[in-house]
Amino acid sequence: MTEGMDAGRREFLKRGTLILGGLTLLGLAIPSGVYVLAPLWKRSEEEWVEVAAVSEVPVGQPTKIEFVRRKKDGWVTIEGRSSAWVVTADGRQFTAYDPRCTHLGCPYRFDAAQGKFLCPCHTAMFDIDGNVLSGPAPRPLDRFETKVVGKKLLIKPAVEKKEG
Amino acid sequence: MAKLREWLDERLQTREIKHALLDRKIPKGVGWLYTLGSVSLFIFTAQIVTGILLAMNYVPSPEHAYLSVKHVTDQIPMGSVMRGIHKWGASAMVIFVTLHMLRVYFMGAYKYPRELTWIVGVLIWLIVLGFGFTGYLLPWDQKGFWATVVGANIAEQAPYLGPWIAKLMRGGDQLGAVTLTRFYAIHVLILPASLGLLVAIHLFMVIRQGISAPPEREPRRPG
Ligand code: HEM
Ligand code: FES
Repeated sequence: MTEGMDAGRREFLKRGTLILGGLTLLGLAIPSGVYVLAPLWKRSEEEWVEVAAVSEVPVGQPTKIEFVRRKKDGWVTIEGRSSAWVVTADGRQFTAYDPRCTHLGCPYRFDAAQGKFLCPCHTAMFDIDGNVLSGPAPRPLDRFETKVVGKKLLIKPAVEKKEG
Repeated sequence: MAKLREWLDERLQTREIKHALLDRKIPKGVGWLYTLGSVSLFIFTAQIVTGILLAMNYVPSPEHAYLSVKHVTDQIPMGSVMRGIHKWGASAMVIFVTLHMLRVYFMGAYKYPRELTWIVGVLIWLIVLGFGFTGYLLPWDQKGFWATVVGANIAEQAPYLGPWIAKLMRGGDQLGAVTLTRFYAIHVLILPASLGLLVAIHLFMVIRQGISAPPEREPRRPG
């Protein structure tokens, strides 16, 4: 074998090793990367919870409804008590508020005499539509999605992240 | 790139390191059989990577082990690929390390002056089997569970010490939560640390001594 052929063979093997080795490494690195980064594009999947029969919700009177919520946490499902303030003006359209104050998360209550939501912690006050009337709350009450299926009221107890 | 290499070399003499590691003299006649050690090394690396990633989503407890493994397989993107690589890699590891050992044996490469490389190699081989045995239990499925029951019972048959060994292995009289946690600790802490150390020693000796020349065929005697 001449020197030139030997060098050519050497170069060929060197490149071949680098290319095949590189591909193999990519084959390992790409799935690993996807696996590690997966939480970034995972959407939290909250499920609809049946909370009450439509007829049970008083018209015009905000009502705190308690329900059992199943939450997926990795491979475990946690059952927890949860609640929402539900308001309806006509028994057909429902609004559900997250029961945590938008200031720092205290549970607020509805004051029937004043027709307002009052937070005991730092005296935030909201009207029946959830708007801030006074106090330190930075935004209106958070809402849960609602829908009526048959004669049942369903809630999706999740709020999209908001500023504030 | 070339500049960076220059910069590093000036301070750390990296060229010397590269020279010692990669530009080694190789005897004539060396071929594919001599790549089996490197194959083992590559699989070992892949096992480390996928193993660490699996550990991010695994809980060694009877309540959670099976479900967390299932979660990895069904829910996490590429989770089934990670499990697949780790699982097939485990078998491949045993196969290729054994083939490597056989090549060393049949070529007489374990002889003077490479006895220590061989002895370390035997320890490595035992550790690789240990990986397989402890890893098999971790998914906490029927197969892994009963295979481990059988494994512990086999250990129990050993004369005199058997019952003690089996009890230590299980962490008690019954296979259970304690068995799972100790198998996990062995699988992800003790064995990887030992194997890493031994492989480093092994490779050091291989590089230090250079690879042995293939045995020569005796000239055929006229019959
Ligand atoms: C994780 C497992 C192992 C790795 C990564 C590994 C790696 C290597 C590598 C890269 C070489 C260079 C030559 C070749 O590949 O054939 C080598 C040589 C050698 N290995 Fe291993 N090895 C492993 C397991 C073993 C086992 C189980 C034994 C024997 C019980 C063993 C005994 C030897 C000996 C004696 C040599 C020197 C051979 C010679 O100079 O021709 N190795 N090993
Ligand atoms: S938490 Fe409600 S006012 Fe501060």
